[in-house]
Amino acid sequence: MTHPMKFFLRVCLLAACTGLVGCQKSETTSAGTAGAKPLTIGVAFETLQTEYWVAGFEAIKADLKKRGHTMLEAVSDGDTNRQFDQVKNFITRKVDGIILVPKDAKTCLPIIKAANAANVPIVLFNRPADKSDAKSVAVVADNFALTRETVAYLVSEAKKAGRKHKAAILIGDLGDINAIGRRDGFDAAIKGSESVVEVVARIPTEWNQEKAQAGLVNALQASPDINFIFTSSDFLLPSIVSALKTAGKYHQIGMPGHVILGGFDGDATAYQLLKDGYLDATGVQDVYFEAAQCIQAVIDLRAGRTVPDLIRDPGFVIHQANLQQKAAQMWGAQMSKK
Amino acid sequence: MRPRPSSPGILVLRQAPLILFAAIVLLFGALAPKFLTADNAINVLIQAVPTAIVAVGMTFVLLTAGVDLSVGAIMFLGGAIAGKLLVGGQPLPLALGAILAVGVAFGALNAVFVTRLRIAPFIVTLALLFIGRGVALTITQTRAMNLPDSFLQLGATRIAGVPLPLMVLGAVVLTAQVVLMHTPFGRQIYAVGNHPANARRAGIRTQRILAAVYIICGFCAALGGILSLAQLGAVSPKFGEAYEFKAIAAAVLGGTSLFGGRGAVFPGTVLGAVLIQSIETGLVILNADPYAYPVVTAAVILIAVLVDSVRNTALSRLTQRRIRVDA
Repeated sequence: MTHPMKFFLRVCLLAACTGLVGCQKSETTSAGTAGAKPLTIGVAFETLQTEYWVAGFEAIKADLKKRGHTMLEAVSDGDTNRQFDQVKNFITRKVDGIILVPKDAKTCLPIIKAANAANVPIVLFNRPADKSDAKSVAVVADNFALTRETVAYLVSEAKKAGRKHKAAILIGDLGDINAIGRRDGFDAAIKGSESVVEVVARIPTEWNQEKAQAGLVNALQASPDINFIFTSSDFLLPSIVSALKTAGKYHQIGMPGHVILGGFDGDATAYQLLKDGYLDATGVQDVYFEAAQCIQAVIDLRAGRTVPDLIRDPGFVIHQANLQQKAAQMWGAQMSKK
Repeated sequence: MRPRPSSPGILVLRQAPLILFAAIVLLFGALAPKFLTADNAINVLIQAVPTAIVAVGMTFVLLTAGVDLSVGAIMFLGGAIAGKLLVGGQPLPLALGAILAVGVAFGALNAVFVTRLRIAPFIVTLALLFIGRGVALTITQTRAMNLPDSFLQLGATRIAGVPLPLMVLGAVVLTAQVVLMHTPFGRQIYAVGNHPANARRAGIRTQRILAAVYIICGFCAALGGILSLAQLGAVSPKFGEAYEFKAIAAAVLGGTSLFGGRGAVFPGTVLGAVLIQSIETGLVILNADPYAYPVVTAAVILIAVLVDSVRNTALSRLTQRRIRVDA
């Protein structure tokens, strides 16, 4: 029989390992730039589980290094409590500012209030907080406007074909405000063009590729004439490609049977599909702009300058016609070179 | 007078999961006639294959009153290693072998912690879930990896008109059913789950049985991962996420007890997996409001578990043997 104390210690050891695995912390330091006092900035991401977050994380890291500041980093793997502890740890270590990717708009409020209480500027990267008395700055893409613009381009392509299209939208996590903004942008773009595009499938994916693939296969089963697909994130594109290949509907632009395809984010897969002529358009979030704005906001707040609560990343729509011109600004195109 | 075990009431109660499944299929069929087509039935079955195979492995573990939360991580880690091999130009069989090896290795690791160090399966497998996903994220650098077309062809292959995934599922279910129902090893699994101390006293090497079920579960998770990748054609950072809950739900929906000693792979677990997939497919075909998905899915699972609970209570009452004590 195992001794109860030994058993308890083993459980504690394993539980501690469990907690530590998902929490990676390290420091990136570089020499300070001439003239400016080097700052220490804590960067806490909720997840690194999509290319977009990795690109954002790397962009912040590179920008801070270039400016000569020190970065403390933490990833909470979707655990809000852990992220709260990580931020409290930053505060204890007397950071000059915090850049945060929260899990959602509500659970980050206590984290922001903790930073406010310690008088540490806090800037949210890509996900804004709900309105409250907690003070923060958010740098976000205009999910609604950028999606509306992207889908409007797709609708214009459908109009050119001169026949009615049946559409499917892959919706992200319904608890994610960005996913909701994109869904609403899609609806706004379609509104008024129902004679050209009829939405026959709304597929919730929970940002999960398997759900997206299964959902789209099912939708194609129910409506084999679907010929217009929009995904709320480019990271679901492989699922769409797989479903279209299975259904024998994966054709390049201009070929008979081509399914009009659009996305959002601008990742490496989207860039490849644009180059290969399968993807019509995608709304690109300007990761480098957002990273630079976050850092600048921390610096400005630290210096007592006024910063607006919301800084919009206008993003841009990239499509076949402007691919050459815009590719250099597309973060996915840069990542595909690595 | 008490009903006989073969009375209609008891037969109906015994078939409660099947009746519930039929009711849901008929309901979706009535709402959307396309749901009842043969094409859709095959589609549902193919999509249910990965969950069903992972759930078969999970059933072995649940029968011993254990649990394996690392199955989704095994799928992801196996997929990540295979993806790297394939992108590096290695042949498909090597990649498939690597996935299965990861499954067996993780199963063996779980087994060592559970049987040798006697740590609670929940804690061990939870730890390996995080370790597995962490290692896989490191390998992939959080990048999605598109697999070569040969992997997708695996999912689309038909042998004598039967889709390969269905053939694999058939082989897995048949083997599991024979092992559980017709071999001493299978009976020992039930015995360990029913009462480990009594099983030990009866001469069963309980530690070996426990080790075996975790290795089987790891292998099934890896195999389910292969078939899921064969449908998806890509490894994403979220691949396999929450599969542990899907597998447990399928097994429990099929009548497997979380407390061990009761349950079956066929029709039980397979039916549970197909039921979950049927709900998801039915909702898409109906073009239901996306907000309705979690509500409907959870409600059906709750009803199924409630029906199962009522059924078990009623069955144990109806089939109870009474000892008459003569004065």
